[in-house]
Amino acid sequence: MAPTADRREELAEAGPGERMRAPTTGTPRWVQATSLLLCVAGLAVAGYLTYEHYSASVTLACPDTGVVNCFKVTTSQYSTLLGIPVALLGLLFFAGETLLCLPWAWRARLPAVGLLRLAGASVGVLFVFYLVYAELFRIDAICLYCTAVHVITLLLFFVVAFGQALTGTRHTASSAD
Amino acid sequence: MSTKSRSRRAEQVRQMQAAAARKERVRRLAIAGTAGAVVVVVIVVLVVLKLTGAGTPSNNPAAAGGNAAQTAKVVSLIESVPKSTLDKVGPGTVSNPPKAITAPKLTADGKPRVLYVGAEYCPYCAATRWGIVQALSRFGAWSGLGLTSSTANDVYPNTPTLTFHGSSYSSQYLAFTGVETKDRAGNPLETLSAADSAVFEKYDSPPYVPEQGKLGIPFLDLGGSYMSSGTAYNPGILKGMTHVQIAHAMSNPSSPVAEAIDGEANIYTAAICSLTGNQPGAVCSAPGVKAAKSALGKG
Repeated sequence: MAPTADRREELAEAGPGERMRAPTTGTPRWVQATSLLLCVAGLAVAGYLTYEHYSASVTLACPDTGVVNCFKVTTSQYSTLLGIPVALLGLLFFAGETLLCLPWAWRARLPAVGLLRLAGASVGVLFVFYLVYAELFRIDAICLYCTAVHVITLLLFFVVAFGQALTGTRHTASSAD
Repeated sequence: MSTKSRSRRAEQVRQMQAAAARKERVRRLAIAGTAGAVVVVVIVVLVVLKLTGAGTPSNNPAAAGGNAAQTAKVVSLIESVPKSTLDKVGPGTVSNPPKAITAPKLTADGKPRVLYVGAEYCPYCAATRWGIVQALSRFGAWSGLGLTSSTANDVYPNTPTLTFHGSSYSSQYLAFTGVETKDRAGNPLETLSAADSAVFEKYDSPPYVPEQGKLGIPFLDLGGSYMSSGTAYNPGILKGMTHVQIAHAMSNPSSPVAEAIDGEANIYTAAICSLTGNQPGAVCSAPGVKAAKSALGKG
């Protein structure tokens, strides 16, 4: 069977002695591309929210009580965690995940890289649960920018989880070839 | 072993490995799929709980209120802040004083009218009410005021305060309309009249307030001559205090509470004096009020 593009790339990178046994990580290209795209999108939105957090002037007023109200959400007590702005945590999260979703990181043979990527995405999902709960039941308002970040985080988790599953199986399958 | 049998054996091993690989692939995809499904289910459950009203934390408005005797004591303490204290404080540490506006005069029964728009859950409204009650008590009499505190689920949680819901105010100099749009739990409480709603929407919007503060509360319109949106001091200074402690502190001119609340009250008083033709004279000519007048915003 003709080797796939990924496989050819792996073999090209591997030394002569490794070519007979080197397993490929074999992550589908769509996983690599989609995960990186989601990370960049998350980075952009979280960056905007972080900029707003630090640049917006402080108004000692309760904002309009509409359900869709970014100001109410981003100025609530849930906008910081242990004194750190949640928007900044989101920015750091996407910065880390962007590094872990770069093509070289997907191709890395070190299992820790994949585990770190998946663990990071899982922590992101748990944090989304907390923030959605806070918005719905504590703040009683929804911020559309925050919701965009939440959706991106959830999609990133799906892509990373399936990417990790496919990577492992293709690895096994190619080992069996 | 012949070459043929070795080849057959190798083929069997390859088939077994391929089968194992397929099985492993299915197992891993099943785990990933289950994890994804769990994530979706959790989000759906949260949304359904919200839409059905279940899971909303209790935030009983009544739980925050005091009994009649305690309310009477607090109101009495606010109304009896010594003149010497008010004079010594002057404008105090107030920021965000009312700004002068050019608007149709707000009146009721031929008297200038003060319009307050707020909500019981709002911590900034909680901070603002203390000064309003003190200032207006110099022009008339309150009845039916209640004790409450801001919501536990926002910044400056459980800030002690009074509520205008169910209260009335009488004065020969001015009228007061206090509208608490929501209770401590965020449920609808009172509704603005169409005319007051128009005032609120016009003067609590740019250019009178920054875009991000549009329709923010508390909103105060003093006779159509002055307006303010937001509180005049940081509610954090009331943290950890009871209603009675705050009311007592208002009489101590060196306390941060008096600097903030009495200063706020003096500034509101100065603005109101400009509406009443500086009546009553004893109030409007007080040194503290005169000092506060200079702090009124020019708009």
